[in-house]
Amino acid sequence: MPERTNVTLSDTDENPVLRDPDVRLMLRVKEGDEAAFTELVTSYQDRLVGLLYHLVSNQESAEDLAQEVFLKVYRARQGYEPTAKFATWLFRIASNLASNRRRDKGRKREVSLRTNDSGPLGPRPAEQILAEKSALMPARQLDKTELREVVRAALDGLNERQRLAVLLHKFEEMSYIDIGTTLEMSPAAVKSLLSRARDNLREKLEPYIHYGTQPADNGE
Amino acid sequence: MQKIPRLSTEQRENLVAYLDGELDERAAQEIEQVLARSEVARHEVNMLSRTWDVLGELPRVVASGTFTQNTVSQLQVLNAPRREFRTQPWFQNARRGGVFAGWAAALALSAWVGYSATNRWAPTEADMLLDDLPIIEQYDQLTEVGQIEFLRELRKHGTFNVQPTTPH
Repeated sequence: MPERTNVTLSDTDENPVLRDPDVRLMLRVKEGDEAAFTELVTSYQDRLVGLLYHLVSNQESAEDLAQEVFLKVYRARQGYEPTAKFATWLFRIASNLASNRRRDKGRKREVSLRTNDSGPLGPRPAEQILAEKSALMPARQLDKTELREVVRAALDGLNERQRLAVLLHKFEEMSYIDIGTTLEMSPAAVKSLLSRARDNLREKLEPYIHYGTQPADNGE
Repeated sequence: MQKIPRLSTEQRENLVAYLDGELDERAAQEIEQVLARSEVARHEVNMLSRTWDVLGELPRVVASGTFTQNTVSQLQVLNAPRREFRTQPWFQNARRGGVFAGWAAALALSAWVGYSATNRWAPTEADMLLDDLPIIEQYDQLTEVGQIEFLRELRKHGTFNVQPTTPH
């Protein structure tokens, strides 16, 4: 028996997720419509690459990973069931793939590093930037590039889940419920996660924001 | 100087949720009351808000111009092998070879089973000679008897069950 190709108004009453136009595009992909898939890739490519770039810190890796995400979506098309917004489903796949990639890299290096630990090799570049910036003398106004580096370092200092929650909330403007769906957490857990993340960011960025300057080294 | 009370973990979490517009009306009113009477809370909200804004300084990376094209071209690779696999000449040849090899293996197995069965259960010439050995050994005496009825009587009485004694 052929599957239904059109979503009717009564369908959207039964399943509100079907109101999401991207879910409907995905249902067309499920029916074998490759043009619908191209449409999804076009509309999500920048958002996905942008998000992954902040997770893997490299444009080429971010694009490779984003491509892997889209191909995984395509491979999963036949089993697709619209239970959540398309974006939350897509970003959940991206989050899982990014975590797997990170784990694989960790295993290859055979050195376990937590994102907020420096590890046996000393501070990582992101941590070094913060340390170097705070050691500069005299205090002076940060230029745009320097501020960007500092913010970047502060973001890299968060653990993976905190970073992802911050990025989804800041740049995807996702609600706590949608972030919870993406990260497979309750909204209350997302609230705590984001609160801790923002506390960490505040702690690292406050000296730069408060005065708009590089903090002076008190030791000299 | 008056000591400023610290905020609880829950209050801090609620401050963030308040900034994010994620609190219900009642909880939002409670936070507004806290903000009205606590300088610490106001400073906290201010700093959280400003550090949140500064995240906007992060670079916004976009996909390269060929990203969609590269990704969609991968679909051809994903789809192609399944569609064309069975029509490839090498697959047809391999399939014919596989069928032939299967039949050959089945025939060889049958031959082996047949040979083994024959070898195991069908008596050979040597087996038959061994079975007839008592008669062969007494062939000369038996032929002198001349009458088959007499031999049957002897067998009835168990004469042939006795092992012949070897002459010294």
